[in-house]
Amino acid sequence: MAVNDRLATQKNKNGLQSIDDMQLTKKDFPWWMVTIGLVILITFLMIQINPDFKDAFNIIRAGLGVTISTTIIAYCIATLVGLLVGLGRVSESIVWRNISTIYVEIIRGVPLLVLIFFIALVLIPGFITLLNIIGDFFMDAGISGIGEKLTAIEIRSVPNNVRAIISLAVTYGAFSAEIFRAGIQSINKGQMEAARSQGMSHWQAMRCVILPQAIRNVLPALGNDLISMLKDSSLVSILAVRDITQIARLYAGHSFKFAQAYSILCVLYLTLTLILSLIMKLIERKLGNERK
Amino acid sequence: MNENNVPMIEVKNLSKSFGVVEAVNGVSLQVFPKQVLVIIGPSGSGKSTLLRTMNWLERPTEGEVLVDGVPLSENQYRINTIRSDIGMVFQNFNLYGHLTVTENITLALRIVKKMKKEDAKKIALQQLMKVGIADKADYYPSELSGGQQQRVAIARALAMEPKVMLFDEPTSALDPEMIKEVLDVMQLLVKEGMTMVIVTHEMGFAKAAADEVIFMDLGKIVERAAPEVFFEHPACDRTKQFLSQILTH
Ligand SMILES: Nc1ncnc2c1ncn2[C@@H]1O[C@H](COP(=O)(O)OP(=O)(O)O)[C@@H](O)[C@H]1O
Ligand SMILES: [Mg+2]
Repeated sequence: MAVNDRLATQKNKNGLQSIDDMQLTKKDFPWWMVTIGLVILITFLMIQINPDFKDAFNIIRAGLGVTISTTIIAYCIATLVGLLVGLGRVSESIVWRNISTIYVEIIRGVPLLVLIFFIALVLIPGFITLLNIIGDFFMDAGISGIGEKLTAIEIRSVPNNVRAIISLAVTYGAFSAEIFRAGIQSINKGQMEAARSQGMSHWQAMRCVILPQAIRNVLPALGNDLISMLKDSSLVSILAVRDITQIARLYAGHSFKFAQAYSILCVLYLTLTLILSLIMKLIERKLGNERK
Repeated sequence: MNENNVPMIEVKNLSKSFGVVEAVNGVSLQVFPKQVLVIIGPSGSGKSTLLRTMNWLERPTEGEVLVDGVPLSENQYRINTIRSDIGMVFQNFNLYGHLTVTENITLALRIVKKMKKEDAKKIALQQLMKVGIADKADYYPSELSGGQQQRVAIARALAMEPKVMLFDEPTSALDPEMIKEVLDVMQLLVKEGMTMVIVTHEMGFAKAAADEVIFMDLGKIVERAAPEVFFEHPACDRTKQFLSQILTH
C-alpha cells in the first residue's frame, strides 16, 4: 500500500526505524522469539521447582512496581520535554533554538550514569537552594506566605526515587527531542508553506499539519526509547532506589546466590522489554492499517 | 481592464536575493481585478520567487508588494488574515498527507475562518463538485492520481473564497494525460472572472486564458504583452529563442 511504502521510505531516510523495519533481515519464522521464550519459560520453571530460585524471585519481584512506575513516569515527562525541546530546535526564534540545542548537546555529551549523579546530587540540591534563596527574598520583601513555603523546602525532602525519575526524564528528554526534531524535519517543507499560505499561524500549522504527520513517523523510534528507558532505569539503583536491580544486588550481596539473583534479573528485564516490543508492533500495525 | 481600479496585486520595484543570488531584480507589475497574468521564463529565472513574495512566503529584499491596496511589509502583524484571501496552488500539490480530501479543505476553514464543522463540510463538497471529484471526498491524497490531487489543492484554495489565486507551475509535476483536467478547472476559473497570477509552461493555455503575458529571465521582466502579440510577434530575441525552445520541444 502506497501509504505504508511512503512511511517506510520516510522512516528510512531519517534512520529512525528499529532494526527489524529495515528489511535487512528477511521475514522468516521468528526462531529468535521462540528461543527467548524458552529461556524465559525455563527460568520460570526453575522458580517453581528450585527453592533458591523461588526465594530470589519472590524477593526481587518486589522491585517490579518501582522499575515500571519509574520508567513510565519518567518516560511521560521525557516525551513532553522532548516534544517541547524538539519544537524549540526548529523554532523560528533564535533564542529557543539555541537554548534547546545547548540542552540536547550537553546531555548527549555526558554518560548517562554520570548525568544521573549530577542531576540527582548537584542539580536538584542546587535548584532547592535557589528556591530557598528566592524564599528569603520574599521574606525580606514582606511576602511571608510564599517566602515561608519556599524557605521550608529541604534538600532532604526530595526522595531518591523522585530524583531518579527527574534524572531519567531530563536525560531522555534530550533523546526524544532529537527524535521529534528529525520527525518534524522529515515533513516536506511544502506542507508548512501550504498551511501558511492558507492563513494558518506557524503554531497552527505545526499543531494541525506538521506534528500529526511527524509523530506518526517517529512512533517506532519513540517506542524504542521506551524500551531503552526501561533498561536504563536499572542505573537508578545507584541512587539506592529499590528497583529490581537494586534489590537483586542487595540480595546477591548478602546471600552470595549470584547466579540465581542475576539470572532472574536478566529474565525479568527480558520479559518486560519483549512485552513492550510486542505492544509497539501491535500499535504500529494498527496505525498502518488505519489508513487502508 | 479598468485602470481606475485598485490593482489586486501590485509589485513595486521588487528585488529578492538569496545571498549572492539575485533571484528577482527590480520587478514591477500590476494585476487588476478579474485579470489573468501569466508568467513564463526559463528555470531559475525567478518566477517562483516573484510569485511567493505576493503572499509573503518570501520576504523581498527591496521594494513593496500591495495586495488589494494593502502594503504587505507594513502589515506583517496581520499577514495571516491577508494570506487567507490569497489562494496558492503549488507544483507539488502539498496536500496534507494525514487528512482526507474533505479534511484537507475544511482544516483552514475551521481554524482560520473559525467555521462550524458542518458549514465547512458543505463548502468542501461544493468545491469538490466544482473541480469534479466529489466522489473522492473520503480518500487520502496518496490514493489519488496527480491530476486529482492538484484539483483537490485548487478546491482547497477556492474554499477560502480568495480574492486572487496564485499558481506556481500547477501542471509541471503531472503526467501528460492529467494536465488537461487541471487546465480545464483553471479555465473554468478564468470564465468566472477569478483574478489569477499563473506561472506555467502551457503555452496553449496561456494564449487562451491570459490577459497579459510576462517573460522573465535572470530575475528581470524581459518582455510583457497581450498574448496575441506576445506569441505572434515577440519583440526581444531572448523571448523568441525561449519560445522556439519551448514550442519545438
Ligand atoms: N530558498 C532559496 N535559497 C537560495 N536560493 C534560492 C532559493 N529559492 C530560489 N533560489 C534561487 O533563486 C533563483 C530563482 O529561483 P526560482 O524563483 O525558483 O526560479 P524559477 O521558479 O523561475 O525556476 C534560482 O537561482 C534559485 O536557485
Ligand atoms: Mg519555480
